[in-house]
Amino acid sequence: MSMQSSLDPQSVTDAKAGQVTVPMWLVVLLAVLGYWGMVYFDHHGGWFDARVYAPFASVSVVNELQPVSGAEAFVNRGRAVYETTCALCHGSDGQGKPGQAPPLAGSDFVLGPSGRLIRIPLHGLTGPIEVRGQVWNLAMPAMGAALSPEDLAAALTYIRQAWGNNAGPISAAEVEAVKAATAGRTLPWTAAELKSIQ
Amino acid sequence: MSRGSWIFILSLLGMIGSWFGTVLYPQIQLGRMVETRTVPDGQVYPVARPGLAAQGREVYRSQGCYTCHSQQVRQEGVSVGLAITKVGTNQTALVEAILRIAPQWRRDQVTAGLERLPFQVMDGVAAAEAERARRPLEAAGATTMVTVRPVGADLARGWGLRRSVAADFLWDHPVMLGSQRVGPDLAGVGSRLPDENWLLVHLWDPQIHTPGSMMPPYRYLFEVRPAAEVASQDALLLPEGKGPGPGKVVVPRPEARALVAYLRSLEAKAPLFETPVILPAGLSGTSALSVHAAVERP
Repeated sequence: MSMQSSLDPQSVTDAKAGQVTVPMWLVVLLAVLGYWGMVYFDHHGGWFDARVYAPFASVSVVNELQPVSGAEAFVNRGRAVYETTCALCHGSDGQGKPGQAPPLAGSDFVLGPSGRLIRIPLHGLTGPIEVRGQVWNLAMPAMGAALSPEDLAAALTYIRQAWGNNAGPISAAEVEAVKAATAGRTLPWTAAELKSIQ
Repeated sequence: MSRGSWIFILSLLGMIGSWFGTVLYPQIQLGRMVETRTVPDGQVYPVARPGLAAQGREVYRSQGCYTCHSQQVRQEGVSVGLAITKVGTNQTALVEAILRIAPQWRRDQVTAGLERLPFQVMDGVAAAEAERARRPLEAAGATTMVTVRPVGADLARGWGLRRSVAADFLWDHPVMLGSQRVGPDLAGVGSRLPDENWLLVHLWDPQIHTPGSMMPPYRYLFEVRPAAEVASQDALLLPEGKGPGPGKVVVPRPEARALVAYLRSLEAKAPLFETPVILPAGLSGTSALSVHAAVERP
């Protein structure tokens, strides 16, 4: 009886599931492929925006390459001047730095009459000055004296309109007018002198 | 459940998936497209082709031009640069400023370049670098412009100013993009070959203008007539010895005229939001390319 069952052809050919698991390298390979797919999609998908075509990755990339209007270009230029000339002390965020420079965001001297603001970079500022309820006793050199009127006007327009500030633009002609009116002055301004200018 | 129903369900899912991806989603993206406006001029684009050109599109289709000519220019990127459009009063200071920011130039090249404005000072730089280089030049009194020029192999061949986008084909039905480039791409042929007689002669016998061309002659779009006493205004201006013989003239049939009108209407070059192009007047297309070459090999 036992002899007969071992010779039964069906028991020999029947396939049985073993204990084989999925190899680890295959799991890793699939994970890497999936990751690559996501990165590729991120670079080339453009998030399905109909305005994004092949060489560009996203709408923001296309946006950055658009021609800017005159006013926008002026403010962009002002930002560039500010970043190189002013931001070291006043900070890229316009909040000033303790012991170095008072804030420009929300400052009455920035938002006040344009003649007041233009004079500060042309000749500098010295002595105590109250900005946003805090008294600063520092000296600012004549940082804007070497700038061209256009550059200075652009930078001043930028600080009057950035970080929540909302004052009118300053033109190069205004800067030149103040330059002519104050020609020959060598001393920096004081807060009291500036306040008398309307 | 038998295996057959699994196969059916899986293939149905595959069909639905590819239908979503290749039919439904493109339809959602572009199906309801309307005219757009050029940037920054705000002109309506595209304008429908004039009547004769619209008839020519049917000739283009019936002659199978799309089997050998594509109408789709590709682009590999953009090159940002800086160009001077106006020299101020202080040219000496400007030359010094240019030599400082772009040391690859020689002094005599800069002087010569400033005489033929616009002058592309730098090209293929980062946008921030161009913006930075702008300040010393403007301080020296010049008027400058940050340029954005599309680049790519197709554009280097002079086939267009920018890549083709869906808006270019808004009024074409069907859109004849073509799939093979036995001949050159025709997306911008109206800009590069605006001469009507050139195109007609090319259709009559391609060997006249481009010896060795693979294009077959389309003689049946023309008529050979005995020359009249008064020279016909419609007759082709063929070069000496290439005509049909003495006493005969070649006159294009209406189909040939329509086809040429269609070809001349193909000029996909309007700057749009999706294909930013910023170039000063007088510095575009092939002239910008030669400037680019000069910047690379000073």
